[in-house]
This record gives sequence, C-alpha cells and structure tokens, in this order.
Amino acid sequence: MRVSLLVCGFGTLLALVAGSAIAAPYRPQADSEVLETLPAGPASDRAARALRALTVRDPGNLDLALRLAELQIARARGTSDPRELGRAQATLAPWWNEADPPVPVLVLRATIEQSNHVFGAARTDLERAVAAEPKNAQAWLTLATVQQVTGDLRGAGESCRHVAETAIALVATTCRASIDGVSGNAAQAYDALDDALIRSSSELRKGETSLRVWATTLQAEIAERLARPDDAERLYRASRVLDPNDAYTTAAYADFLLDAGRDAEVLNLIARDTPVDTLLLRRVQAAARSGSADAASSADDLGQRFAALRARGDRVHLREEARYTLEILKASDAALDLALDNWRVQKEPLDARIVLEAAIAARRPQAAGEVLAWMEATGLEGGKLRELARKAQMP
Amino acid sequence: MIARILFALCLPSVATTALAHKPSDSYLTLRIDETTIDGQWDIALRDLDAVLDLDGNADGRIDWGELRRRFAEIDAYAQSHLALSLAGASCPLSIADHEVDRHSDGGYVVLILHAACPSRVDALAVDYSLLFDIDAQHRGLLKLESGSGSVASAVFSASSRRQSLAPAELSAFRQFRAYVADGIQHIAAGFDHLLFLVALLLPSVLVRNGRRWVPVTSFPRALRSVAGTVTAFTAAHSVTLSLATLSIVSLPSRLVESLIALSVLLTAVDNIWPILPRRRWQVAFAFGLLHGFGFASVLMDLKLPPSSLALSLFGFNVGVEIGQLVLVLVLVPLVYLVRDTRTYPRAGLTFASLFIALLSSGWLIERGLDVRFLPF
Repeated sequence: MRVSLLVCGFGTLLALVAGSAIAAPYRPQADSEVLETLPAGPASDRAARALRALTVRDPGNLDLALRLAELQIARARGTSDPRELGRAQATLAPWWNEADPPVPVLVLRATIEQSNHVFGAARTDLERAVAAEPKNAQAWLTLATVQQVTGDLRGAGESCRHVAETAIALVATTCRASIDGVSGNAAQAYDALDDALIRSSSELRKGETSLRVWATTLQAEIAERLARPDDAERLYRASRVLDPNDAYTTAAYADFLLDAGRDAEVLNLIARDTPVDTLLLRRVQAAARSGSADAASSADDLGQRFAALRARGDRVHLREEARYTLEILKASDAALDLALDNWRVQKEPLDARIVLEAAIAARRPQAAGEVLAWMEATGLEGGKLRELARKAQMP
Repeated sequence: MIARILFALCLPSVATTALAHKPSDSYLTLRIDETTIDGQWDIALRDLDAVLDLDGNADGRIDWGELRRRFAEIDAYAQSHLALSLAGASCPLSIADHEVDRHSDGGYVVLILHAACPSRVDALAVDYSLLFDIDAQHRGLLKLESGSGSVASAVFSASSRRQSLAPAELSAFRQFRAYVADGIQHIAAGFDHLLFLVALLLPSVLVRNGRRWVPVTSFPRALRSVAGTVTAFTAAHSVTLSLATLSIVSLPSRLVESLIALSVLLTAVDNIWPILPRRRWQVAFAFGLLHGFGFASVLMDLKLPPSSLALSLFGFNVGVEIGQLVLVLVLVPLVYLVRDTRTYPRAGLTFASLFIALLSSGWLIERGLDVRFLPF
C-alpha cells in the first residue's frame, strides 16, 4: 500500500515535471497561426450563445435555463467535452443548491452529478423525481443507469420495469438487457435485443439512431460475454456504421480488438490526436503492445492528462488510470489501489476486470475477494473475466 | 414523449464518461520577491471564447490575430476576476505581456502578471472568481513560489474563492517533512534493506569464538557493536546516496539491485559460515555504499527541484535513518534478551539467516535475470 502510494506520488510528480518541461509559453509570429479549434458545430454554438444571452437577462426563468442546460448536456455528449457539463451546472445555479427543486432540474442535476461520479446524490435526486412523477420515463431510465453502474442490479431491474410502462419497446428492452447482460442472463438479453431491434426497425425514425447505437453496442458487448466473437464483431461494426463518432462504442470495440490481439486495427480505429481520454488509453495500449513508433509519446500525453485531472482534484478517470498504471507504468500495486478505489464507486464488468488484472499482477489476489464474491453473486458471464477469476483464486 | 425519451438516450454514454480531456482549469503561478509579485496566468482559449466570443470571423478557430485584437478586453476581464492583497491592503495587478501555450486540453493565453504590494509579502490573500458564473466545474490551480523556491499550491472552486497563503512558513519545513516521510516509507517498504540490517544485527549480541558464537556479556557491549555497525552503514549509504542524487556517479539500476540482493545473501550466509571480514562495521560500510545507490534511484525518480535538492536529500536520509532506528530499537533488545538461551546462537540465528539467505537468492535470481516469481 505504502509502496503504491509512493509510486503514485512519483508518477504524478514525473508527469507534472514532464508537463512543465513541454509547456513553454511563446509569442506566435503570424496573426494567422491557429491557436485553438472550437469543438462544436456553429449551429449548436449559436443556439447556446443565444440562449445564454437570454438567461443572463432573465436569470430566474426556469424554462430558459432548462432549455439551455439540456442543450449544454447534449453538447457534452456530442463533443465529449466535459466543460459543457460545468456550464450546464452554472446554468442551473439558481436551483442547484435547492433541496427540492422542480423535477426537470432534479433530473438534469442528477445527470450532471452522475457524470461527475457523484452517484449517491444523483440517486437521491432521481428517487425524489420519480416519487413526484412516477411516469417520468427519463428519470426512471437515468435511475436505472445509476443503479446499474453502482452495482445495484436489483434496483436497476425495478427501475427498468417502470421505464417499460411508459417508453417505447426498444428503450425498455435495452434497459432490461443491460442488466440481464451482466447478471447471468446474457443469452436471454441477447435474444431480446435481437427481437427488439428487428421489430423496431420500422418504428424508429431517422433521428433516433442514438437509440439503435445504444442497443446494438450493448448487444455486441453481450455477444462478447457469450463467447460469440463473430457476432460481436458484426454488431460493433453495425453500430459504428450508424454513428462512427460514438466514443462509447469505439472504446468497447477497441477493447474487443485488444483482447483479440488485433493491435494494428486499434491504431487505425483511434487517431493519435483523439481528444477523448478513454479512446487514447486504448490507442496507448495498442501502441505499447505492438511497439508502434508513437507508443512513448502517446503514453506521455495520456499521463499528462491524468496528472492534470488529479491536479484539479477529479476522481472520475480512476478506471482508465488504473489500466494505464498497470499496463503502461507497470506499477501493479498502484494500479490495484486505483482499481479498488474505482470499484468502491463503479461496478461494471470493466471495473471488475481491472481489479482482477491488477490483483494478479501485484500478487495480492486476496485484494480481489470482493470482486470475486460479486461475480459469484451476480453470475456475471464472460470468458476473459472467468479466466482472470480462476487465476485470482489459484493458491 | 419521444422527445423526452430521446434526450434520455444521452444518459448511458454520459454515465460511462467517454469524456475528453478534463473540465475547465486555469493555471496561476505567482512568484513572490520581497514586495512584488510576478507571475503568469494560463487561461483556456475555449473558456475565454465562451465569455468574450473570440472567434471574430466565426470559422470555428481562434487565431493569434483574433486573440491579439482583444487583449484589452481579455485583460479587463481577467483583472476583474483576480485580486491579491495582504492584510486588507491590495496589491494592484497589471498585465505586462501576452503569450500563448498549449496544455493537455488545448490552447491557452498566457497573461504575464505583475503586482506591487505596499509592504513585504508574508501572508497573501488571493480572491479568484474567474468563469465560475458560466462554468460551475471550473477550477483555478494556484502555484505559489518564493525566492527560496518553496512552493504552496491551492485550488479555487466556485465554493472556495478565497485562499490565504503564507509563503514564509511554507515552508522549507513542510517540504522537509514530506521528504522525511518519503524516506521512512522507502525503508519500511524496502524489504531488502530491512533484511540486510536484520542479517547484520542478528549476531550483534554474540561474539565469535573460533567457529562458534557465544553471547556477549553486557548490554553496553552489544550496544557498542550495534552502534558501530549502524553508523558505518549510515555513513556509507549517505555518501553514495548523495553522489548518485547529485548525478556525480551513476550505476545501472538492475546491477545495483542485483548487488544489493547479493549483499543480503552474503551477510546472511556469513552468519552461518564466516566468509566476510570479522569486523561487522567494515561489512556494513562496504555494503552500505551499495544500498545508498538503491535509495538514490528512488529519490531521483522524484526529479527534485535543484533549489531544494540539499534539503530534500537530507530529509530523505533522515527518514531512512528514522526507519532504521525503529528497526534497531525493536530488534536489538529482543535478540539481547534471548541471546543466552541455548537455542538462539544455534537454531535462532541459523534459521533466520538461512531464511534471509534463501529469500535474497530469490531476489538475486529475479533481478539478475529480470524475472519475477516472489510475492515481494
């Protein structure tokens, strides 16, 4: 423990030193030198600016604030830019600290809280929202997500049941399948998604691709857990055809390729300059495994991003940082500490996996006891996870 | 209904944090020199754009020309969101120059700051309110430096907008304490160093009589031998620790680590079959030189600031000594008490040394061949 803390400290210091070595302010020579590229499309940017101008003039107007905050959260998703979440929080400032704000504020506040991994507060807000509006499908679905991420699968199943009462079939099925897929009913979840996707193909309109992406990627992940790599591959590709920029799908597909030893494909899939940390992590892993030329420099970049997050006190990237610490820094004790810290907050299959991997590498299999017990209790499937669990249980 | 549900679809992905970079930060560095403060303030162009609309030609990019034309507004905006003061008297802030830089999340403008305070700066209050009105997750990361190189840091957030810092006491002492703690941690976690000391000290309550060990007659005698051994070890590793940290001598770390394992092995074996010089302090000194290189590799990983190198070196060393002393205080009285029993010289010493010898041969193989099979 002490050693790993030390290693962590060194890592931070090293990264900070490296960061400061690169950082050298300068004076550009030409007016035309581009210093920054703004992420979002101009249309959504104009809309956000116009709405913000209105809210500045009328700060107590709940309707305006909700529209702006929703737009900002949508932009956070579209551009993968966490700044937009902080902006949405600022937009909701007049209601943010209220104990009992209007239901739409509760739901948006919970959305922002959960993205900052403040799951307890998010859950409280959502429980209050569904108590006030038992037919609010969005609140139920968000609640199901929070419950699933934090490992409350029974609660998540209950919430999905409420989603099913009010939402279209594919939403309800996907909600349910995301829980079945990690609780021993993967085969059933896979078939349910298959049915629902086929049946809904006529029902869905063009703008609703994000729902199909969500369902298809989930089905791909479940196929992986069922040891059906060909189906997984086909579904990941299908999902990426629907939305090539979905960072979640790209990360899951990259993990699939990494497990298959197809490192070169990961390097093609994810650009060297991706702004998304979760994607850069996969690229760094692929680069390191294949000995690619940019392995060291991308690893440094990623290390700096983690150091910058730590400097501001953020703890939302623990899962990725644990993977980075284990595979790139090869500091297995420090990685295990990070993975266990993360496990306290998040309990998805990837979170279980990094604990097992780090515990095995650090030769502290007893540290993975809680994860093993959880896998036992939930019946989580997956060849890779089972294999790691066996290794962790070997005397 | 569908519209509401559609919005809900953002949620799974947001929850799994496929987020880029980090939220908004600004980096404020202040250097105090008597009554003046110089510094730099790095503010993200994306953040300034949200407030001041920097992208004049709306092409989705901010270039140096667009930025340059807006310096006056940027300065006014920045200055109205940062205030430095000492005991209620303000230190008026001016912006001397503008540069640019890149951080891990994009382009930043770098404001070169200058402030003149009415008196010598010993306790500085910083009021920071940049961007909180438009971004509730914004943080201001402050680094404070003073002439001696000492550093304090603080994080400003929407709920913590004022920080008081006292650079005078921040002291060399606090930094020193941190390095002492590092030293203690290192020795406590460094089984090889600890076992080396144990192997050295186990026979300190005995004297060699031919091929046999007999108990010492008095505690002071045992203590003298311990003191000699520990002092020699300390002196030796301090020398090499300093030489290596100051980059005067450097050895490949795998070689050093392997030799350290060998030193533990030889010392343990010597307790059973004498192979090393009779005088323990000589052994301690010779091998101490090696262990110093081992300590240094830890300290060098810290990339110490040159200004406080001596201090940190000393602090780390003090920490190592404290750790050692604790071991001595626990071990020596214990073995002194059991020295007279029939079993200690024969069985206790032999088995303990054998165990250490086995373990260190394991390390030697691991380190020499770069493989790993031991649990620590």
